[in-house]
Amino acid sequence: MEEIRNKLEQLLLKTQKPARYIGGELGSVTKDKSRVDVRFAFCFPDVYDVGMSHLGMKILYGLKNAVPNYWCERVFMPEKDLEALMRENNIPLYALESLDPIKDFDFIGFTLQYELSFTNVLEMLDLAGLPVYARDRKGLTPIVVGGGPCVCNPEPIAPFFDLFILGEGEEVNLELMRLYEQMKPQHPTKEQFLREAAKIEGIYVPQFYDVTYNEDGTVAAITPNVPEAKPKIKKRVISDFDHAYYPDSFVVPFTSIVHDRVVVEVLRGCIRGCRFCQAGFIYRPFREKSINTIAGQTRTLCEQTGYEEVSLSSLSTSDHTRITELLTTLSDYTDNENINLSLPSLRIDTMSKEIVDRIAAVRKSGLTFAPEAGTQRLRDVINKNLTEEEILRTCRLAFSEGYQTVKLYFMLGLPDETDEDIEGIANLAQKVVDLYYETPKEQRGKSVQVSLSCATFVPKPFTPFEFEPQALPDEIRRKQGHLLDCIKSKKIKVSYHQMNVSVLEGVLARGDRRLADTIYCAWKKGCTLDSWDEHFRFDLWQEAFEECRTDTAFYANRRRAYDETAPWSHLDYLVSHEFFVRENKKAHEAKTTRNCAEGCSGCGIKKECGGVYCG
Amino acid sequence: MAEMLQPKNQNLRIEKTEYRLVFEKTGRARYISHLDLMRCFQRLFKRAGAPLWYTQGFNPHAYLMFPLALPLGTSSSVEILDIALTEPLGYDELCEKVNACAPEGLRLVSAAAPVMKHTEIAFAEYEVSFEQDGTEGSVLGQRFSDFLAQEKIEVEKRTKKRGVNLVDIRPHICLLSLSSEGAHADAGLRLPAGSEFNLNTNVVMEAFESFMGSSLDRICTKRTKILTKSLENFI
Repeated sequence: MEEIRNKLEQLLLKTQKPARYIGGELGSVTKDKSRVDVRFAFCFPDVYDVGMSHLGMKILYGLKNAVPNYWCERVFMPEKDLEALMRENNIPLYALESLDPIKDFDFIGFTLQYELSFTNVLEMLDLAGLPVYARDRKGLTPIVVGGGPCVCNPEPIAPFFDLFILGEGEEVNLELMRLYEQMKPQHPTKEQFLREAAKIEGIYVPQFYDVTYNEDGTVAAITPNVPEAKPKIKKRVISDFDHAYYPDSFVVPFTSIVHDRVVVEVLRGCIRGCRFCQAGFIYRPFREKSINTIAGQTRTLCEQTGYEEVSLSSLSTSDHTRITELLTTLSDYTDNENINLSLPSLRIDTMSKEIVDRIAAVRKSGLTFAPEAGTQRLRDVINKNLTEEEILRTCRLAFSEGYQTVKLYFMLGLPDETDEDIEGIANLAQKVVDLYYETPKEQRGKSVQVSLSCATFVPKPFTPFEFEPQALPDEIRRKQGHLLDCIKSKKIKVSYHQMNVSVLEGVLARGDRRLADTIYCAWKKGCTLDSWDEHFRFDLWQEAFEECRTDTAFYANRRRAYDETAPWSHLDYLVSHEFFVRENKKAHEAKTTRNCAEGCSGCGIKKECGGVYCG
Repeated sequence: MAEMLQPKNQNLRIEKTEYRLVFEKTGRARYISHLDLMRCFQRLFKRAGAPLWYTQGFNPHAYLMFPLALPLGTSSSVEILDIALTEPLGYDELCEKVNACAPEGLRLVSAAAPVMKHTEIAFAEYEVSFEQDGTEGSVLGQRFSDFLAQEKIEVEKRTKKRGVNLVDIRPHICLLSLSSEGAHADAGLRLPAGSEFNLNTNVVMEAFESFMGSSLDRICTKRTKILTKSLENFI
């Protein structure tokens, strides 16, 4: 520690925002090493500003550190300036609390939130001084584990990991650490440990599965090669969500981060079933916390951190069964303490006047909606059960309350999309602008701005669209051009995501194990921090595709048969394959499916998982 | 009627008690930037339950004022922070409450009512300890004294209006002490500080490096005093 600290202190002043790299924030946990039995380096494979905003890390950090003889520390990806200095001065990747090198830890855990962070995992392992391929790390420790949403198809990065944790981590992380704590005194080999770990529900050890391929390149079979490995690995679910562990303390950063506020998770899972949305399926079933629990956690964290803003986190906050009562209770406290209450993830159709007033009391700046598609037909295809009338009704309400900006999120390249649907985006935006001008002058704000943000649709595993081809870049470009031609008002601004990013995301999201060498090759060429426009090097990725003979169209732009063995078919996220097939067929018939609150549609999740509307 | 006029912002009050706090910024906290320090202290007072007075403008914000910025990486135990509270707290009580929930490296040393005006700050004193691998501290010290023996020490100064121009900093450097021990040399410096003219130790040490024609490997800087024109402690 002292050595790293001394070296760092001389280098930090040469970096941007050095407070990110030295730890010591309020709420960070330090322990006496001699009394610790298991050390866990929790790595977020992106820069501090992003990683420190991540709620999952806050939960698991608190959870593990609540065990007296376990010590969990934070590790982030350094920016390129510090990375170069670390390599030049032989500083290995270290954890922020102890400033100890992470290669000496028992566990190194990565949270995999998006595909574009995959190369960062390799970079961080390498900076730590470890071989990136699991097969080259022979000793018992460090055991490299992965969790988070991308683990629903971890195959492209499977060769770099010792094991993956499927689903929610609150229980299984401790079970895994307990197993290690028990076995450690007997000095097991890595394989002995992994065989025991594979018996824990939710743990997937990729090396215990052989993958064979058909002549056409598709997966033929995924077969366990040791008795401990189950043919299907089930994700973990916390069934009693109201009593699930939630931290009573956050690490409060010195520098400003992306979400610099108290975050309280109010519900988990989503009732909606939008067919493009992976989160909507892999986090099922819908569970919520009671108002008392939420209010208590809000108060505790506001007092501990000193933040003046609290945000409610969920996939769709307004689906809380007692949303109005919840907001009233919370704002009684926050108003009194001079704390702002912010409410992201509200659904347009459930926004009552009362809720609009609540947000308006905080700030009258912007309103963001995600219609996702321009026409009712296409919204039915994707099961975004939201009508134009509902969008306009809410905008009318918002304009009369003085709102001036409306942001609308759309996707281009959705299945069965026609030019009419593209024109529908422009028409909808124009109707919103018109609505502003119809609002009486004395009620409306000074001017109006409608921003359209158009992402490219990327089909994801464990969604009804996992069988769909991703639209080709040229087709997306044409659609973008067509949309621009249809926009007539200066009050409408259009922005796009970088398309090549979506191409890469599409390949990685539904890739198989053979992609690992391509990822390795791209990383060797210098690809890291791919999610940052200024660092993204698609040219290098293309070189890697070429050298490794990776056919991107095979992974991204091909329609997959319902009976094809998917690279993730040995993983069970509790929603049935039959349900996804049924939903895919309904999508092509433009038929919607009711949400969980309206009635069960038989997705396959069992009652025991604790879903509010299940069983 | 009076109740209806109550502003929504409960902290919007006219009565206030002013405090001048002396605080310490050491260890890991040295890397907190000036801007971040503002936010950091604001949260700290909120946690400590010290009711900050909010400015009375259109966009009320907590009143926190650092009369003299501390360069990133420099440690100090003489930093000044002015605040105002809506309800008076005893000086010791305030320090205790804040220190109980302060992050590592930040600590209130004392609290008192402000006596002087910010504009009275004229000088600051520093202890700079520096090393160069392969060079004895005594040799480095000798080099530093050669450096200061120059008639002129010109450094480039960037200004918005006139671009880059040369400034002679030699007359502004007052050497208080110079010693060496083992590998490091230690210099005590008094430099102009405050709103009128400010000279950063970094500028001096960079000039020293370019005088030597090689760079130093370790520099540790500590601010030890904040002084008025007549060299009294700023209080």
